[in-house]
Amino acid sequence: MTETVTFYIDGQAYQVAKGTNLVDAAKMHDIDIPVFCYHPKLKPVGMCRMCLVELGSLSVNRETGEVERDEHGEPVFRWFPRLQTACTQVVTDGLAVRTTTEAVVQGRNSILEFLLTSHPLDCPVCDKGGECPLQNLTMGYGPGESRFLIDDKIRLDKHVPLGELIYLDRERCIQCARCTRFCDEIVGDDVLAFHERGRRLQIVTISDPPFDTKFSGNTTDICPVGALTTADFRFGARPWELQEEATICPHCPVGCNLSAGTRLDRDAGGKKIIKRIMPRQNEWVNEIWICDKGRFGHHHTRAEGRLEQPMLKQNGAWVPIDWPAAYDLVAAKLRQYGDSLGVLAGPSLSNEDLWELRKLAGLVASEPKLGVWPAAMTGGDLVAQVGVGSGTMLRAVGPETAILVIASDFEEEAPIWWLQVKQAADRGAAVVVANARPTKLDRYARAVVRYRYGEAVSVLNGFAAQALKDKSLTGKLSESRVAGLSQLRAALKGVKPAFGDAGRMLLSAENLIIFAGGEGLSVAQHRELMQAAANLLILTGRAGRANSGLVAVWPGANMQGAYDLGYSAEATQALLDTPPRMWIIGAANPVAEDARAARAITGAEFVVATSLFMTPTSEAADLVLPRQSFAEREGTFTNGMRRVQRFYTVQGIIGDSLPDWKIFAAIGERLNGPKARISAGAVMKDITAHVPAYAQASYPRLAQVERQFPLVGGDDLYYGGTAYFNLSGLGLAIPPVAEDGSAQLEVRPVTVDAPASTDADLSLIPVRVLYDRDVLFEPSRLMHHRVPPPSVELNQADAERLGIADGDRVAVEGDGYQITATARVDGRAPAGYALLPVRLSSTPAPTTPAACTVRKIGE
Amino acid sequence: MNLLRGFATTLKYLFEDKVTVQYPEEERPVRERFKGRHALKRYDNGLEKCIGCALCAAACPADAIWVEAAENTDEERYSPGERYAKTYEINMMRCIFCGYCEDACPTEAIVLEHEYRLTFSDRRDSIYTKEMLIDPPPPGVPGTPQQTEPGRYTRSIPEMKDPL
Repeated sequence: MTETVTFYIDGQAYQVAKGTNLVDAAKMHDIDIPVFCYHPKLKPVGMCRMCLVELGSLSVNRETGEVERDEHGEPVFRWFPRLQTACTQVVTDGLAVRTTTEAVVQGRNSILEFLLTSHPLDCPVCDKGGECPLQNLTMGYGPGESRFLIDDKIRLDKHVPLGELIYLDRERCIQCARCTRFCDEIVGDDVLAFHERGRRLQIVTISDPPFDTKFSGNTTDICPVGALTTADFRFGARPWELQEEATICPHCPVGCNLSAGTRLDRDAGGKKIIKRIMPRQNEWVNEIWICDKGRFGHHHTRAEGRLEQPMLKQNGAWVPIDWPAAYDLVAAKLRQYGDSLGVLAGPSLSNEDLWELRKLAGLVASEPKLGVWPAAMTGGDLVAQVGVGSGTMLRAVGPETAILVIASDFEEEAPIWWLQVKQAADRGAAVVVANARPTKLDRYARAVVRYRYGEAVSVLNGFAAQALKDKSLTGKLSESRVAGLSQLRAALKGVKPAFGDAGRMLLSAENLIIFAGGEGLSVAQHRELMQAAANLLILTGRAGRANSGLVAVWPGANMQGAYDLGYSAEATQALLDTPPRMWIIGAANPVAEDARAARAITGAEFVVATSLFMTPTSEAADLVLPRQSFAEREGTFTNGMRRVQRFYTVQGIIGDSLPDWKIFAAIGERLNGPKARISAGAVMKDITAHVPAYAQASYPRLAQVERQFPLVGGDDLYYGGTAYFNLSGLGLAIPPVAEDGSAQLEVRPVTVDAPASTDADLSLIPVRVLYDRDVLFEPSRLMHHRVPPPSVELNQADAERLGIADGDRVAVEGDGYQITATARVDGRAPAGYALLPVRLSSTPAPTTPAACTVRKIGE
Repeated sequence: MNLLRGFATTLKYLFEDKVTVQYPEEERPVRERFKGRHALKRYDNGLEKCIGCALCAAACPADAIWVEAAENTDEERYSPGERYAKTYEINMMRCIFCGYCEDACPTEAIVLEHEYRLTFSDRRDSIYTKEMLIDPPPPGVPGTPQQTEPGRYTRSIPEMKDPL
């Protein structure tokens, strides 16, 4: 463990880990050293001078080497003559600090008075007013009155839009550089900068479009004044009027912990609604950051058009019916079509919903087909085997860990993981990116591996073959514990180790985390990829350890949970191959997203869908049941690292909507199933009793918290901005099977199918983008500027051959689909492939690779 | 004897000024500092003084005030600054007329005036909305929202004289 040192604050001795920043060290012992510019997640700069203290050191007799003591036996200190900044000081043995002397008090006092000479004091209209570090510290340490005339204050622009999401108030800025440092150090998007000098120093954005980063909202959290405010919350409420509720982001597999600021709203009919979303500290998951999609993408919870009662399609027209009638109808149809039932579970269904849906399907079919949507990725069972071990904390990984990101455009698919992997790379972790095309993470990768779409497995096989050559890595494996080992060894004999440098980097580190996406892979190919990743981890003994294991970059918030509860993409594929006569579709929109699914669903005899809005899928259904969004109900999501996290009721309920689990349970009751549980917690209790992996995941356990460092939020707003203390649960990371040393593991040789050559022009590769037209995201109008128009990316050579220029309107056609889009020729697409961002067009397109032709169409 | 003394008192008061006021036909003037119903004030140019800061609501010991704020634009301007009160409601059944809201107001927008006739026969009528509370604009001046030329109102709080 790290060495501890003794240091003294105001004469009292304290112990702390060597190398701790002095401000942090004091904070750990509940002593406040006020700061503005210092932030525990950023490097210190010492710009604001608020943290002035007296520094000294133990007086040591040079001859004897002993600490000098006064007549009372107390140690004697030697003090520096001037005040020093505490934030730029690292704690060393014998360091002494005085924080309450007259000189220190005077120093802070003067700094605050000076800061306030050019601060506008428009606190009554400032969004930060009430949770403002400058306000708090002025009350705590300030002079009480100013000697400067209000009339002499500096006058600057009050309302500068930095992009459409963030507003800058130049007058309020105290030049602490937290926002610019956040963009530079944490994100690596160099989009904010200081301009000019001295009193004219100001923040400017230097990107086009302005403030072009996916993490811009975080700057408003860490801004110690109201200089940066979000357009979303602007004047939404005063901070003290907000009721903070804990929730989990429903958009991506990271599972960021959120705090929703809620307030009753006249326009929403007096309901409690979300006014803003802020990060909630969870150092295991999102630390104190969230992406802009999570922060601003909450408007679906109360957007216009939310379904308010069950709707039945009668002779082509929608008729509202009541819940009991809807239950009876579904129960009757299930009795009729139970032997041919297809279930599709959307990515944002909670574990409770998935469990009740599975129970319902089990009532009418002995082996129900439980599909997930989107059905683009699979292998959740392998993640359960060789996922990351207990104690995995991305923010703590360093040189001892190698990270492989394969087949994923990481920033678009899981922004906060991207952020953490980028920072891990900065700390010295060996990051290797393998993809068929350039992605943003390449910038921070130690090595980049390119393969052709569909051949991702060969990369992993190459690494595995390389590992086999190194007896120190694979020698200790026992045949008895790992089934199929000899077959795998035999199969890999013939494989030439490829990408030697990248392989060496990955294999020489102690730990290996593999983030596997699904780009350019069919479901079957993705199963092979996941298996190859599991093979590599088991072969090298990297499975089942902290900071080591397999993580799937799912296209949704709770797809790992769906796999843990028995759903799979293979089931979806089987259902689409032989469409059933009845569908139950929970919170998914396959009709809009996939042409093949659209055909399979519209051809069925009875379709019941739970939905928030009238989507194309609901339109295609016979009965639409209004579900509640994540904000109106309780539940749990399992994130990509298999951390089960609990979200709470945040918002007032819209209409007669119900949580999905309640709907499915009520239908089950009518089919002589068990009595419906009364709460989500009771459903989870059911799950803990029946699903061994979730045995510990009871609601009280998920709500447990512990003290997290660095300390941010809470009463100490000035320290970490306004990220919130986590008081509602850090969740529970479910250990993978491999962590149990005696558990049986299985490897299986996987081979690469050479991509079938087609006579079509190009292969269409669906790629994911963060800002899309998903049902959960589209209602957030503020973000519409960031959602790109439907586009298709082409290689330069292909574009020239087809006579297409950047910006042309093109038609993309293939077996059963046709989309019009804008062509992008920007060098990202490999030759022979057309990259189609999913969920941007309103017409369905394939969700897995397919053949296509692209042609230019007239204006 | 006592009887006569009583009649004498009556006779004396017969010639003095009458104390009884014939309310509601007649109203007795209230004191200058009487705290009656609130009024939301306007500037001489018709813009509202209220900036929707909700400090009155925060100061209110009876939790009687509800404020929701919104942003001004030059096309639709309610107050000189960036922010105005979109919703401003006082529940007169809760209000204790303590005047803390008046003290808390940074722009002197809310004033407890002399109106004390606050009767209603439905609980819901006890909620006084912004339209009921706000003073009419001065004669000949347009009310709000107003269209203003860009760049004229750039301060988040209107310029006010230094109180000293």
